[in-house]
Formats: sequence, C-alpha cells, structure tokens
Amino acid sequence: MLNIEHLTKRYGEKIAVDDLSLHIYPGEIYGFIGHNGAGKTTTLKCVVGILSFDEGVVTVNGKNIREDPVACKRDLAYIPDNPDLYDFMSGIKYLNFIGDVFGIPADVRQERIRRYADTFELTGDLAQPISAYSHGMKQKLAVIAAWIHDPKLIIMDEPFVGLDPRAAHLLKEMMREHCDAGGAIFFSTHVLEVAEKLCDKVAIIKQGRLVKAGTMEEVKGDDSLEEVFLELEAE
Amino acid sequence: MLKVLVKKQLGEVFRSYFYDAKKNRMRSKLSIAAWFVFFFLIMVVFLGGVFLALAFTMCGGLTEAGMDWLYFLLMGVIAVLLGAFGSVFNTFSSLYLAKDNDQLLSLPIPVRTIVAARLVNVYLMSTMYSSTVLIPMLIVYWVTVGATAARVICGLLLYLIVTFIVLLLSCLLGWVVAKISVKLKNKSMITVLISLAFIGGYYFFYFKANEFITDIITRADTYGARIRGAAYGLYLFGRIGTGDWLAAAVFAAATALLTALIWRLLSRSFLSVASGGAAARVRYVEKPVRVKSPFGALLHKELGRFASSPNYILNCGLGILLIPICGVLILLKGQEVAETFNALLAGRPDCSAVILCTGLFMLSAMIDTAAPSVSLEGKSLWIPQSLPVNGGLVLRAKAALQLLLSGVPMLFASVCMAAAAGSSLPVKLMIVAASVSYTAFSALFGTFIGLKMPILHWTSEMAPIKQSGAVIICLFGGWVVSMLLGALYVLFGYRLGAAAYLLLWTLAFDAASLLLLRWLNTKGEKAFAEL
Repeated sequence: MLNIEHLTKRYGEKIAVDDLSLHIYPGEIYGFIGHNGAGKTTTLKCVVGILSFDEGVVTVNGKNIREDPVACKRDLAYIPDNPDLYDFMSGIKYLNFIGDVFGIPADVRQERIRRYADTFELTGDLAQPISAYSHGMKQKLAVIAAWIHDPKLIIMDEPFVGLDPRAAHLLKEMMREHCDAGGAIFFSTHVLEVAEKLCDKVAIIKQGRLVKAGTMEEVKGDDSLEEVFLELEAE
Repeated sequence: MLKVLVKKQLGEVFRSYFYDAKKNRMRSKLSIAAWFVFFFLIMVVFLGGVFLALAFTMCGGLTEAGMDWLYFLLMGVIAVLLGAFGSVFNTFSSLYLAKDNDQLLSLPIPVRTIVAARLVNVYLMSTMYSSTVLIPMLIVYWVTVGATAARVICGLLLYLIVTFIVLLLSCLLGWVVAKISVKLKNKSMITVLISLAFIGGYYFFYFKANEFITDIITRADTYGARIRGAAYGLYLFGRIGTGDWLAAAVFAAATALLTALIWRLLSRSFLSVASGGAAARVRYVEKPVRVKSPFGALLHKELGRFASSPNYILNCGLGILLIPICGVLILLKGQEVAETFNALLAGRPDCSAVILCTGLFMLSAMIDTAAPSVSLEGKSLWIPQSLPVNGGLVLRAKAALQLLLSGVPMLFASVCMAAAAGSSLPVKLMIVAASVSYTAFSALFGTFIGLKMPILHWTSEMAPIKQSGAVIICLFGGWVVSMLLGALYVLFGYRLGAAAYLLLWTLAFDAASLLLLRWLNTKGEKAFAEL
C-alpha cells in the first residue's frame, strides 16, 4: 500500500529525514514514534505530497507521489497534527467541499456524513462555523473528512491529541475496522501505550534515521514499548 | 514589554519587505532598499503630491485674506478623514481579531499593554495616511508665510493632535463595530454595509471637495465668521497651526485626556470583546446536497472566503460596486464627457473612448481578490496541497473568482461606455473587447503575483489583504497600466486610430494572459506545491 524507499529530506544543511525506508501493507496499522523533532511530521508530509524531498521514492498503491501526485492523493487521506481547517466554512460545508473534490455521489456522501457525525456526536454542530469549534471538534471534523471518501491509506499526525476519551476510543475502533476492510493506516504518536495496543507494526525514528521497525513483537520483544523506546533514545 | 510587542507587530506588517517567503530567507539589503523606495514613492510622490498641490491651491488665497486658521482647519479635516478612512477597516481586526490574542492574553502581560501595543500599530498605520496631508500642509504654510519658532512648534503639535484624533476616531469606530458584531449573525454583511455607507459619504465629500474648497476660498470671510461664531472649537483648532500657544495647549490637553479615556475604555472591555464573539447557535438541518465539480468546489470555497471577510470585501472588492455605478454615470453623462475630451484634444480622434477606458481600467484595478488569495490560505494550505487536485486548478479557481467578480461589472460598464462613446462600431466593439481582456489579464496577473509574494504566516488577515506587496503591485500596477493606455494614445497611438490602438492592447493583454495561464498550469503548479 505504501512504500517508502531511501527517503531523504534536507532543510538547508540539516538532514531532517535520512535514508528512511518503510513498507506498509493492506490491513496494517503502522505506528511511527520518535522524540520531538525526530522527523515524523516531515516524513508524513513527504508521503502525502505536501513537502518535496531530496532523495528516495514514495509510492502509494503502486503510484509514485512525485510522478502522479493527484492519483496518489485520491487514494489517501491526511490529518495533520494541528487541524487548521477553513474557519470561514461551517462543518457541513467543509465536508461537502471535501466530498465535491473527491467526487463522492450525493447519496453516499449524506449517508457517510450522517453515520460519522452521529458517531462523534457532531451532527448538532455541523451548521456551526468552524471558527466556533473547539480543538477537539475540529479534530473530529478532520477525522470525518478523512473517512468520508473511503481512502485506501490514511496518514495521521498525532490523531488523538485534543480528542476526548470517548472520541479517542471510537477513532481506534474506526482505525481497526478500516484496516480489517483492507485499508492501511500510518500514524505518528507520542502515546506509547496506544501504539503498543493498537499497532500491528511500529517504526522508531531518531534524528531522522530509522532505528527500529517491524511487528510489535519484533520491536519490543518481552519488554514494553516504552522501555525499548527509552533505551533507544539513550543510545 | 510594549516595545517587544510593537516590534513583533511591525515585524509582521513589514515582513514581506525583509523576508523572501519563497526562498525562505532574508532579502538582500538591495532588495529591502528597493521595496522601501517603492513604498516611499507610492506614499510620498503619489499621495503626497496630490495633497501638496491642494495645499498650494488653498494656502495662498486664505493666508492673504488673513484666514490662516481656515487653511489649517480644512487641511486638518482632510487629514482626519483620510487617516480614519485608511485605518478604520483594520482597527477592528487588528485589535480584536488578531490570531495571537489568546496566546498574548495567556502570558503575564497586562491587558492594557497588549491594547497599547495594538494601538501603536493602528496609530502608525493611520499616521502614515494622514501624514501625506499634514506634512505638505505644514511645509507649504511655512514656505508661504514664513517659519517662526511658534509656527513650527505649534505646527508640529497640530500634527500630533491630528494623528491622535484619527486614532481616537478609528478606535471608537472599531469598538462600535466590535460591539455590534458580537451580537449579530451576519457580521460580514452588516460590517460591509456600515463601511459602504461610510465610504459613500467619503466619496460624496471627495467629489464635492473641489466645489466646496473653491466656494470656501471665494467666500472665506463669510464662512470664517460663521464658523468662528457657531463652532469656536473649530476656529481654535485652526489657530494651532498659526502659532497660537493657548489653542495648542487646550487641544493638546483635550486630546491627551480623550486618548487616556479611550485607552481605558478599550483596555477594560478588551477581554470581553476579544473573547466574547460566540454567535447564536445555528441548528443543523439536513438538506439535499448539490454536487459540484472539483473546480466548482474550489471556486465556491474562494467565494465563501471572500464573502466571509468584510476586510477582504472592502479592500479587494470595492470596484464591484464602483464599476456599475461608473457604467450608469457614463450612460447619463458619457456623451458630455466625450465631447469635452474630444474638444480638448481635437487632433486626436476618438480620444474620449480611450480615456474613458483608462478610467474604467483604473476602477477595475480596485478588484484584486486574486492577489492575496494564496496568502489567505495561511495555515490551511495543507488542505489544497493534500487534496487530489492539481495546484494549477486551485490557482485557476482563485483567478476565476476575480474574473467573475470583475468580469460582469466590467462587461456592463464597457457596454454602457460603448453605447455612450459616439464612435464607430469597430471602436465600440474594441472598447468592450479591451475591457474584457484587461479583466482576464488582471485576474491572472493577481494570482501570479500572489503566488510569487506569499505571506503565509500572519496573525491578522489584514497583513495579506492590505499590507502585502502583491496587493500593492496589483492596485498601483493596474493604475499605471491604465494610465499608460491613455497617455500613449494621446502621445502616439491616435495615429493608428482608436480601434486599431485598442486592438493592439487587447492582443497584448490576451498574449500576456495566455502566458500567465500557461505559467500557472506549469511552474505555478510546482510553486504552489512547494509553498
């Protein structure tokens, strides 16, 4: 579903991501962990095609993000760490905007909006301007907008930040359902307990370099993910 | 602390002069100097020149008649109107809608310091406008009458008093808009309507000004006596510039007192107004969906952005209202105007048609929604960048909005102009064709320059809408192109005849538009992806 081969991204002299390779298959929830400034967000932005990179190849569902970005973006959804949505729109207008861009038929769109908005208890607020939403409400709206076009791959940067416990629980369930249905999810998080319980595979990045990746068992063995992470950080 | 906050705000206003967002680095010293020279030329040469001429017109007559105070009163009122007009629209957003209000309020900074810093910003912006009147006013007076110590010191005091009166007016109006907007649902529309009424009044005064000033100069004694009798305060105000210490002291004390009161009022209400903007809750009712194409969705989004912001509408869309009004005026008075121009420039056939086109193009330059639209994406830029649409399509939607907003009024006004021109059919057709081509060029150029000079990190939308280089270039560049159209015809173009001359311009606009469209679809798409 997502192949990252030798990805390198530099900001001037600084190497933000250094020769990173990862492979994410359908059905997998892949966690991406690392300290602040390790290169997680940069990697995710390169994968989504909103940040150019210096070396390497990224393919989404077999399509190259550099050569055919529009086709890649049709197959994926992205939720950034801080969901700055269009404040001047109402929630429903934003969802319809996304629906129009992805060409979702009216009846399918309405059914999905109804379903996901009810799930996150956001239906009553859909007519409100986004500028009146709290951070958590914006995050819920970004999640609905990501799920609404039924993408094959979902990329999320710290998706649980700002969500209340119930919404976080629902999101985890939706992530699992999505992958059980053949989709894939690649997300960054600082919450190691969530990563440990939720992810099929995990990758740890340190100073732009991938230091460990694989199934949860391969990465942590008999220890906790937290212990492994702190050990790797100390090295 | 105040210094730090003011520095932060000014840094944002002038960021594009020092920092090249595209290259992600500071500009070279030469480039910074070039930007400031450009800014200086616009403010001093263009605006300052207009008011220097006005000051010369009034000063001689009024001072000879011993009515120096009336000269200062008239120029002072013009400075107040210009300063308030220039800054009233950004006072509300600078004070209450700045995106860093929450952050600053959470820091251990007294609210009054935050308000003071915002006010310094408003003061500097309004002073920039009113100075274009006040500086010529003082220089012309000192040159005409002589610069004694009392006149210079009191003149400088008058300068300060006027700039503070502008600040007080701007703040009061900004505060009123804020109080109203907290209670209203359709804030944008109400704000736009109030502002349009203000602008209408301003333009009424502006167009009547010449008649008004001539009348005052010829009947200075009568008006002077009336003002002195009925409004002694105004007389005292005018006396300040002549070197009247008592008048200067009275007004300086009154202005200082009012400034302190306004500052106190704003400081005390700032927290509730800045954080109390929650509108009445709107109930969601599911409605049938009208499916749009991706381009339609993007265009609709741009329209929504435009309609949601009074600042955007007033600063970049004023021409939408002025162009149809101009069209109707041309229908009513066009023949008369055309005959006047044709008589003035008798050897240049159809010069009136080209000169009227110049005027229309200048109004069209006042619609520049495309120029700030890339910058207005701000922190939401990730949305169009991560969606499955070409950057070229996003950019074309931005250009299309401007084309839509200016195209219809321009078509209407150019048809009115063609009807009133009294020229041959080919000239009439070319008036319409040139207007349409200019409109398309203007929209594409605005998108191009907006992409070339983006300001994506702003805390107040006024930065991209009003203070960005892209908008300034579009507005003043549009005026320069328009004036070239008329000037070149009067100098050389008349030899070709108006139809052929306008055809040449139409072809030039079309060729430039095609090049710009090609650029937006290729290099522009890449540049947008790399923002």
